[in-house]
Amino acid sequence: MIHLRSVQKSYRRGAESVLACAVDRLDIAAGEQVALVGRSGTGKTTLLHILAGILRPDSGEVEIVGRRLDTLSEAQRDRHRGRHIGMVYQTFNLLQPFTALENVLLGALFGRGADSQARVRAEALLEQVGLGDRMHHRPRELSVGQVQRVAICRALVNDPEVVLMDEPLGNQDKATGGQVLDLLLQIASHGKKTVVMVTHDPESAKRMQRTVDLATLRGEIAVGGGR
Amino acid sequence: MKIVSISLRNLRIRLVATVLTMASIVVATALYAAILVMAEQTDARYRGSIGGYQAVVGPKDCSQLELVLNTIFNVGEAPGLFPLQVCMDLRAGAGVSRRGQVRYAIPQARGDSVSQFNFPVIATLDEMFSKYEWQKQPLVFETGGPFRFGWDDLMKFADELVAWENGRRAQEANRPARPKLLPEWRQCVVGARVARTLGLAIGAVVTPVHGKMGEFGFHEHPEASCEIVGILAPTNSPLDTTIFLPLSTHLLIDGHEEGVFVLEVPPGRNPDDVKKLPVKPGNIALTAVIVDPKDHLGARVLRRDFGTRPDAQVAWPQDVVPKFLRQIGNAADALAVIAWLVLLVAAVAITVAIYNTMNERRREIAIMRSLGARRGQILAIIVGEAALLSFFGALLGLVVCHAAAYFLRALVEDQTGVWLDWLQFRTWELWLLGGVTALGGTAGLLPAIKGSMTQVADNLAQDY
Repeated sequence: MIHLRSVQKSYRRGAESVLACAVDRLDIAAGEQVALVGRSGTGKTTLLHILAGILRPDSGEVEIVGRRLDTLSEAQRDRHRGRHIGMVYQTFNLLQPFTALENVLLGALFGRGADSQARVRAEALLEQVGLGDRMHHRPRELSVGQVQRVAICRALVNDPEVVLMDEPLGNQDKATGGQVLDLLLQIASHGKKTVVMVTHDPESAKRMQRTVDLATLRGEIAVGGGR
Repeated sequence: MKIVSISLRNLRIRLVATVLTMASIVVATALYAAILVMAEQTDARYRGSIGGYQAVVGPKDCSQLELVLNTIFNVGEAPGLFPLQVCMDLRAGAGVSRRGQVRYAIPQARGDSVSQFNFPVIATLDEMFSKYEWQKQPLVFETGGPFRFGWDDLMKFADELVAWENGRRAQEANRPARPKLLPEWRQCVVGARVARTLGLAIGAVVTPVHGKMGEFGFHEHPEASCEIVGILAPTNSPLDTTIFLPLSTHLLIDGHEEGVFVLEVPPGRNPDDVKKLPVKPGNIALTAVIVDPKDHLGARVLRRDFGTRPDAQVAWPQDVVPKFLRQIGNAADALAVIAWLVLLVAAVAITVAIYNTMNERRREIAIMRSLGARRGQILAIIVGEAALLSFFGALLGLVVCHAAAYFLRALVEDQTGVWLDWLQFRTWELWLLGGVTALGGTAGLLPAIKGSMTQVADNLAQDY
C-alpha cells in the first residue's frame, strides 16, 4: 500500500540547505495501522506531507495506493490526495464559516465530488460519530472533541484507502481524544483502511498495530531539521 | 456543495467589504446604463417624432433648434411670437410662397399647460386632425373626435377680435363688444398619455394653467375650461402629452391680451406707442406654423422665401434633429467613456479588496489544498468571488437605472421631451451584465493567482 525508498526532503534556509526528512525504506501494508513516532525535528510532519503528496521529495521513490507520487505533477498529486487519502490534523483545520456538514462536504468536493450521494455519506458519517444533531453547527459552536470528530468525518467522506493523522489528539484531554481515536480506528478497521498516525504520545501509539520510530528509518543520515 | 457556493460564502463573510465594493459597481453600471438608455431613447424619440413635421415656421429671433424643440417636442418655453400674416401668406401663396406650394399651413399658439404634469396646451385649428399627417396618416382617435374650428372660423373670429381690439386701443366709447367664447370652442382633444395619466375620458373638463403649475405667477383659467371631445390614439411621440384646443379659446383667455397681437415698432416710434397702433388680423400672434410643402420644389421655394423674410423663419426638423442628435451622441459618448472609467476604477477596487484578504486567507486556502483542491480550483473560487460580486453589482445597477427611469421620467420629459420607457429591457443590458461580470472576473485574477500560489505545508502549520 505504502512504499518509500531512499526518500529525502530538504529545505532552504538562507544559503543553507537543511535536511528535514530522510527515509531509507518504509513499507506499510494495506489495512495496517501504524504510529510514526520520533523526537521533535525528525521530520514526522514532513513525511506525512510527502505521503499526502503535498510535498514532493527531493529524491527517492514514494508509492502510495499503487501510484508513484514522486513522478506525478502537482495537480495529479492533488487529485490523488483528494480521492485516495484522508487527512486529520492536530488543529483539525476546519473552515470556520462552514457548518460541520459543509466542512465534511468540502472534503468530498475536492475529492470524489460533492453530489447527493456524498451528502448522504457525510450525514451518515456524522450520525455515526454522534453528531447527527450538530451537523448544521459551525466549528465555533462545537466542543474540541466534536470538532475532532467532524475532522475525522471529513477525512473519511471520500472513502479513502489511506488515512493520515498528524498528532490528532494534540489539542484535547487524553480520555476524550482516546475515545475519538478508538472510534476512528474502528471505522478504519471496518473499512480496511491503512492508517498512519504521527504522534508524540506513547499511549496513542499503543493503540496502533505497529509503531515506527522515524529515527530508525534514517539510516546513515544523522543530522536533520524537522518541522 | 459547489465551487460557486464557496465563492458566495466568502462574499458573505466579508459583507461590509463586499457591499462597499459592490456599490462602486452598482454606480458605474447604473451610470453607464442610464447614459445608454437616455441616448437610445432620445434618438428613438426624436427621430420617431419628426415624422409628421416637414417644416416648422416660427419667430426669427430664436435658433432653429429652439423652434423645433419647442414646437415638436414641447421643450422649454415658446421662443417668441410672430404674426398670423405669415400663415395667411403661406396659405394664400402671397409674399412668402407661391399658391399651391404647401399642402397645409396650420397655425399654433402655446404657453399654457394642464395639471401638475405640465402637459402643454396647443391652440390650433381642426386641420390638425384632418390635414396634418403623422407618419403619413391623419391622427387617429382612440375615442371621440375633433373639435370644430377651421381657417374660415379663425378669419371670421380674427375680424371680430381686431375690431374690438382697435376700439379698445382707440378708447372709443362705442366700441364693439369683445367676442364671446362660444360653447363649441370650449372643447379640446387630448393625447393618449394625458388621458391615461390624468384618468380623463370623453366629457371630462380640463382647465388650462397659465405658465406651469408650481412656478412663480402661475394661475388657472377657469373661463377657458374645455370639455374633452376626443382622445388621440397613442403615437409614442410628444403628441401623446399634448392638449389641443381652438385657437380662438387661447386668444380669448383673460390676461392673454398683451400677447394676442404682435406688431413691429415702426422706425422712430416709442415701443410703448405700439400698444396704441391699430392692428389687423395678420397681427395676431402665433408661436409656430406647421407647414407641409407639396414637393421638393415647394420646399426650395419656401427655404428661399423665408431666407429674406424679416418676421419669421422656417426650420426643417429632418435637418435640425439629426444634427442635434449627433451632438447629443457625442456628449453621450463622452459620458460613456467616463462611465467606463468609473467601471475600471470599480474593477481595480475589486482587485484591491480581494487582494488585501489574501494574507488572512492563506490558511483557509492551504486547508482546501490539503483536501485535494487544485490550484485551478482555488483560482476559480477567487475569480468566482470577483465575478459574482460584479454580476450582482451590475444586476443591481440595471435595477437602479430602471428605477431611476421610473422616478425621473416626468422630470426628464419636461426637461428634454423624452419619455423614458422604464419597463423596456434591451439586449445590450444582457451584454452589459456579461461584460461587467467578465471585467470583475478579470479583476479577480491577480489575487486569485496569488491565492493559488499559497504554500500548503507552510500555512497548514499555523495554529487555527
